[in-house]
Amino acid sequence: MAKFMFLQRGGCESPPEMTPEQMEAGMKAWMDWVNNGTEEGWLLDPGSPLSGTGALVKPDLTVIDGPFTESKELVGGYSIVEAADLAEACELAKQTMKLAGGGKIEVREFAVFDQ
Amino acid sequence: MPKYMFVYRGGHEDMEHSSPEQMQQVMQMWMDWIQGGVEAGWMVDGGDALKPGGAIVNSDLSITDGPFAESKELVGGYSMVEAPDLAAAIEIAKGSPMPKSGGTVEVRELPNLGKQE
Amino acid sequence: MKPATNQLVEHFFRHESANLVAVLTRAFGIRRINLVEDMVQVAMLEAMHAWKQRGVPENPAAWIHRVAKNRILDYLRREKTYEKAITLSGQSIDEQESIVDQWLEEEQLPDSLLRMIFVCCHPSLERKTQIALTLKTLCGFGISEIARGLLLPNETVKKRIQRAKNSLAESNVRIELPSADQLTQRLDVVHDVLYLMFNEGYSTSHGTEPIRDDICEEAARLCYLLCESPFSAPTTKALLALLLFHAARFDARTDEAGTIILLEDQDRSKWDHRLICAAQSWLAKSKSDQPTTFHLEAAIAMQHCIAPSVEETNWDTIVILYSRLLQLRESPIYTLNRAIAVGQAGHTREAMAQLQSLQNHEEMKHYLLLDCALARMYELDGNTAKAIDSYLIALPKAVAPHEKEVLEKKLRKLTE
Repeated sequence: MAKFMFLQRGGCESPPEMTPEQMEAGMKAWMDWVNNGTEEGWLLDPGSPLSGTGALVKPDLTVIDGPFTESKELVGGYSIVEAADLAEACELAKQTMKLAGGGKIEVREFAVFDQ
Repeated sequence: MPKYMFVYRGGHEDMEHSSPEQMQQVMQMWMDWIQGGVEAGWMVDGGDALKPGGAIVNSDLSITDGPFAESKELVGGYSMVEAPDLAAAIEIAKGSPMPKSGGTVEVRELPNLGKQE
Repeated sequence: MKPATNQLVEHFFRHESANLVAVLTRAFGIRRINLVEDMVQVAMLEAMHAWKQRGVPENPAAWIHRVAKNRILDYLRREKTYEKAITLSGQSIDEQESIVDQWLEEEQLPDSLLRMIFVCCHPSLERKTQIALTLKTLCGFGISEIARGLLLPNETVKKRIQRAKNSLAESNVRIELPSADQLTQRLDVVHDVLYLMFNEGYSTSHGTEPIRDDICEEAARLCYLLCESPFSAPTTKALLALLLFHAARFDARTDEAGTIILLEDQDRSKWDHRLICAAQSWLAKSKSDQPTTFHLEAAIAMQHCIAPSVEETNWDTIVILYSRLLQLRESPIYTLNRAIAVGQAGHTREAMAQLQSLQNHEEMKHYLLLDCALARMYELDGNTAKAIDSYLIALPKAVAPHEKEVLEKKLRKLTE
């Protein structure tokens, strides 16, 4: 088994207007996803969304201040899963995508692995 | 205290031509920095490096190759730190091995979701 | 995977990459040494990235071995060269893999390293090439480190090593230990290479770059490996003793600013007495009916190492040892050193006569140490004016800045 990180990119630039009911349904879907994944064992860390505030420290130690809301490539959140290989991790990412409903998910393998 | 994710990009550009001794030195620099942070209490999770390559799952559920290893924007790894505010987190990021090796650190706050820690 | 430690042993990457190159080249043949080196480099990089944040796994050597082996097997399978490789060696993939695994076991490693020593010191290669190849392949140095250590441009080192690999591959040199009838001859070459490699690192005319100490350490490490093997000869042990006697005086050779301190001015309490003891015990084990230059040089080095001061050194014994060296090999350097010992033993006039006769020697005309030795004899004789003259003659012959420094310091002391 290998560990993968999901990096959610874009998709959250302008959250659509939602009724409280829709919001609750959305929340529930995420919670089910977390519970499911934890029970089945493939979700190692549900992770977190990342807020738009932040900063970028460059090699010369200059700092560019966020928020970086314009960028489509902005990492908006992460999760950590376990899967047999990249293909299986992508299948899990597809499920996650249905919940995220936009943007894209970058699937990346951890450098620490048992050979 | 707020938590911040450090997203590492670039750096270590010329490592494929470096000697084993230099690799060990770079590794030691990282391990010392992380160890120091754990002891001082601000390093919540030293995190990991990510292998280059991978896949992108798009919103229409199609899968494309990438990101490409050559890209300067490639996320190479991450760590989790704790700091009183963004300015303090930035100072910690400046002390990381990343700028020294020519890479950048994106400092991103984790929203407080009201979870009890 | 729990990290066992955040600290690796010193030079772990360097030595592991050398171990891997030796074993994998032995398994896949000298023709594939470039591929082996590339794949080992990939494995080392993977280890660096995987460990730098998470810490070192419990058995780092096994981790790297596995990755490197898998990388090279993946590559060979992909290139479909594997089928050809196994037809050549007559072994199946599984057999080949398990042989590599066995060779990588700690107790089996020395065997592969020893074979590689004889390959890198192959008699068909030039001496300088043997040294560069040994540093690269058996010690895991990078090109730029070798270049810095040997004071050569990167390109020269690179070309030298590549030429050596091509020539070994062309003549399809086998990664094997020499046969009994060839052993003495092959061993002599290895001794010479290790001795010269150590001198490259030790020589004060090359400055005080820290990498140079590493070169000396590596020469001693390989010599030790050889001594512990069934292939060692009494000469091997004498060589190790010699290297250790010199290494014992490492830290006393320079001051904080990196300026060279001459033997007579060194703080002898800074000498490494553990190394001196180890050297003495190797010298005792090296007993032979036919002492070699290494035996005699080691015996001389020992006399210096066990003496409490320059004055209390057993110079008479040193004179005898140099005389015996001269019987084995004519060398103006031995003659010079013998003359100094004669002078230090109290016969300064005799020493001066010997040194003056050396001045006509072609090799010694520009040799700074000859003038320094003469100056020293005048000093011992109480003739300060003549001593100053000799140092002044030596001064323009100094090439490296630190040589000038030492001479200027001497002159200042005498003119005070």
